[in-house]
Parts: sequence; C-alpha cells; structure tokens
Amino acid sequence: MTARPDTVNQLRTEALDLRYGDRLVVGGLDLTLPGGAVTAIVGPNACGKSTLLRGLSRLLSPAAGTVTLDGSDIHRMSAKTLALRLGLLPQQPVTPEAITVEALVRLGRYPHQRLLAPWSTADQRAVDDALERTGTTALRDQPVDRLSGGQRQRAWIALALAQDTELLLLDEPTTFLDLRHQLDVLDLVAALHAEAGRTVVMVLHDLGQAARYADHMVVLKDGRLAAAGAPADVLDAELVKSVFDVDCRVIPDPETGTPLVIPRGSAVRHSAATA
Amino acid sequence: MTSAALFARTTSSARIRLRRRVLLCASCGLVALFALLSVALTTGEMGMPAGTALRALVGLGDPGDVLVVQQFRAPRAFAAIVAGAGLGVAGCVLQRLFRNPLASPDVMGVTGGASLGAVSLIAAGASQTLIPVGALAGGLLSALLLGVFAWRSGVAVTRLVLTGLAVQAGLAAAVNLLIVRFPAELAGSALQWTTGSVYGRTWTEVWGAGGAMVAALAVTLVLHRRLAVLDLGDDSAGALGLSTSAARLQLLFVAVVLASLAAALAGPVTFVALAVPHIVRFLTGPPTAVSLALAGLTGAVLLLASDLVVQHLLPVEGLPVGAVTATLGAPWLLVLMFRQSKPVHRSHA
Repeated sequence: MTARPDTVNQLRTEALDLRYGDRLVVGGLDLTLPGGAVTAIVGPNACGKSTLLRGLSRLLSPAAGTVTLDGSDIHRMSAKTLALRLGLLPQQPVTPEAITVEALVRLGRYPHQRLLAPWSTADQRAVDDALERTGTTALRDQPVDRLSGGQRQRAWIALALAQDTELLLLDEPTTFLDLRHQLDVLDLVAALHAEAGRTVVMVLHDLGQAARYADHMVVLKDGRLAAAGAPADVLDAELVKSVFDVDCRVIPDPETGTPLVIPRGSAVRHSAATA
Repeated sequence: MTSAALFARTTSSARIRLRRRVLLCASCGLVALFALLSVALTTGEMGMPAGTALRALVGLGDPGDVLVVQQFRAPRAFAAIVAGAGLGVAGCVLQRLFRNPLASPDVMGVTGGASLGAVSLIAAGASQTLIPVGALAGGLLSALLLGVFAWRSGVAVTRLVLTGLAVQAGLAAAVNLLIVRFPAELAGSALQWTTGSVYGRTWTEVWGAGGAMVAALAVTLVLHRRLAVLDLGDDSAGALGLSTSAARLQLLFVAVVLASLAAALAGPVTFVALAVPHIVRFLTGPPTAVSLALAGLTGAVLLLASDLVVQHLLPVEGLPVGAVTATLGAPWLLVLMFRQSKPVHRSHA
C-alpha cells in the first residue's frame, strides 16, 4: 500500500454543535481526525460519542459549525457521494428478519448501484472480498439472527467493507462481545488499516484497548473535547480522573508499552481482600 | 482446503434448494391461476367446456357464449386478478415499511379514502363509470392526508401507523354518516360497494386499472432495493446513502397507488393485503424482489378463488367477494395475534 499524507480522508469539525431537539449534546467541537490512521473516541457514557459519529456521517445535521471531509462540507454533498467515501457501523444495527449473511453484505453495495443496473461482477467481487476479510465466507448462507454475537458483528463489518469506502466509522464495535471476540474485531480493524489502508474512527469503552489499537485518541467529556493526540501523550492519571472521575495509575502495557489504566483499589474492596 | 470446498458445496446446495422452492411456488401459483381462470370462464348458469370458453374469449363460436364470456365472466375474473395482485404487493410493501405484520391498506386510511370517494360519488348520483375514479382519488387523497400529518415527525414509523389509524377511523365514520343519510335504494348499492365486489366490471375498468397496476408494480420492483436497505434501520440506511424519508415516502406512495387501484376495481376488499405477505413468507422465507412478485401472484390467486367461492359455492346469491375475504380475515387475525404473543418483529422508530 502506498503511504498517503494524513490530510487525505481527513475529517474535521469546526465549532460543531449537535443537538437533539433542545438538548445540546456536542458543543463547540474543533476536531481533526487524521486520515490514514486509526482514531479511537473515548469518554464517559452519554458524553456525545455516538452523536459525534452521527454528525460525522451526515446522519445528524449540525445546529452550528461544519463537518468537512478533505475540505468539503459533508452536509453539502449528496448522501450517495458521501456513502462512497465513508461507511458507518451503528452501535446496535437492525438485522432484518431471517436475512442471510450474504444478502446482508450485498446491501453494502447500495451506493455503488444505479437504479436499474443489475448486480455487477464488481459488486460480487466486493462482497466476496468483504466476506473473506471478515472470515464469514463459510457463513454466507446462514441467517444473521442465528449467529453468535461475534459472528454477527463480523457480518455487519463485512457489510461496511462491501461498501468499499476509504473511511470507516465504527460505533462501539466491541460492545456485548466477550474478550476473544473483542480482540478478533479489533485485530480485524487493525488489519483493515494496515493491509487495506482504511482510515478508521471507532468509539471504544476500554481505554487500554483504545491505546493499543489507535494511533490517535479523542477524549470527550460532556460533549466537549477533553484531549486529543497520540494515546501515549494523552492518556495519564490526571486525565482519567478529570474525565471519568476515577483514581488510577497509568502504567505501560507490559505487552505493548502503550498506556494501561489501573484503577486504584477502593477502600471497601481493599479491606475485604486483606481481611 | 477440503473443508472450505465442503462448505462451498453445502452453501451452494442451500441456495439451490431455496431457488427450487421459489420456482416450485411460482409454477404452482401460475398453474392455480390458470386453473381458476378456466373455472371462472367456463362455469356459471351457462356451463361450457374450456375450449369453447377460450374460443369465446377471443370472439369465436356461438354469439351467446361470446357475450357471456367476453362481457361478463372475463372482465370479472381479470378484475379479481388485477386487484388481488395489487393488494398482495401493497400488503408486502406496507408490512416491511412499517415493520409490522398487521400493516395493510385498511390501517393506512387507503381503503377508507377509497370508500369515501366512491360513496360520495354514488351519493351525488354520478354514473357507474366514474365511481372507480372516485375510489382511486379518495385513496390517494387519504394518503396525502396521512403524509401531511406524519411529515413533521420525519416520517417515523410509529407515528405513521397511529396517524394512519386515525385517518382510517375518521374516513370510515364519514362513509357511515353518508350511508345513513342516503335514500334507501342508494344506501344498498353504497353498502355493496363498501364490502368489496368485482361483480359487473367492464373491460374499460379492467384495462384502465390493469395498465396502471402493471406500471405501479414495475415501479415497486425497481424500488425494492430501497426497501431492502430501509430494513437495516435509519442509521445504516442513511450511511449507505439512502435518504430514508424520501425513500419511505416513495414506497408508501406506490403501495397506496397499488391499493387504491385495487379498491377502484374491487372496492375495499379486506384480508388479501394482510394475509398475502404471511403466506409468501411461509412459502419462501425472507422477503426478496422475487417474493414480491410472488406476492402479486398469490394475491391474484386468493382473490380470484374467493370470488369463485362467492359465485359458485355459496348457497346465497349475489354476495360480494369482500364478504368471503372478510370472513376469512377475522380468524386469520386471531391466529396472527396468538402467534405474535411472542414478539417476532423488533420495532424501531
């Protein structure tokens, strides 16, 4: 893969306000998400992470400010134009009843299809490739609603891959998965970045995983930017205290050397353990 | 490698099985349709062999036979086929659009609007030929009403359903009011119309509604891809570049056109639009573009069969076909409700 400057596939927000009705969820956000990198968005529950992803993917119009992709305002693009460049996996996608894995993944080709054009060999190739990359080829004729959580998540990622976009936004792709399947999904994301050069922006809960798998980290608190930068520069005890209200130590991950958050033992648990 | 090859073989055989099943259902449906059609053309007060009926259909043979087949039996049978196909496809589209197994044109205010349109024209003493046009206009207007009410919510699913129910209730009340205020002789024909009947249809009506129906069915098939993407929920659909509100309105509109055309031909026939999607799902599994076409075939078979039951099997003379479908519909709804006691469909607004 040829190296690209990080200004290609770069998402930027300027003074972005996102609202649901009267409620300001994201306020005054100035953010640059580097192209060609894996970015993790972290923050406490209800801090606006998912809302931000919806704003970045044109599902939610800004109340104020702009979102640009390589300099052009995404809310001035047509939905299809953006869908050719940016794919999104929502937090809890709706699986149509009894749909098979392949039928699901085929829907990822929607932005590439013209109204009357038949299914093309390029479409089929993209679907086969997406199934292959996510390890779901053998499951292609299985109904998605009968798969395990990890398999289902891979099928949904395959849909986003079949869309064949340079940018991929994933909203908590590891939630509800056990550790093995969490790591599978994150390794898959890392491989997509390393082998296929995709730009990935994902919302994660586990700070250690975010530090391991992301090149860039965005920390939100109450809809505002608390910190952004390389995980090693951003993640320290002070930040975790101020954003999550958790006393902790941050030590180098013994495996990877990336920051690892170790919460301090609470007095109750500690005394129980030593008693 | 061998296990991968094995998988490839089992998966392809699963797909072939499904394809075979769809093919089998389609051919059974077509055979049933032709069998019912020949029954419809040959039986009646003047029985005749199938060959004679077919020759009479194209204008050959005894002038009496030609008159009976060309002017009475054939238009009635084809009206049932066209209306049934429209109702079947409209029901499929609506149930998927609303993610609700009980959605049908009756719930959307379409049948109420069609009835009001037709009954007002009957009240005004308009000629028989204008009444289908009134029904069509009434159905479309009710959809417009629904759209206006529901638009502000960004066309959210629950709101559409509730608004549709309200619109339907209001229109049904208006129809009842008109019928109550009618002179007795008009009230009879208005009541007959609001039960749903294909009796006395003319070729003009069948060709007019049939042509429009074919066009609407073609549009529905073209829009099927959007329907499939909408099944993914609004966020995924939006991220795939579908403008969900517009797509939902387009699909709603074609479904309303299909149901209104059916109502224009056969009156507000109940049950067909409700039952066909369930029958097709039972026969061929998850919905596809092919199963949408199959729904049209199933609807046609169902309505034609019901009309034959009305004409030849029931001891009472001159019952409208809507009476049979409504009688089938009540127990069907109960069965559905019992089966729905465990939620099958997840609803997302």
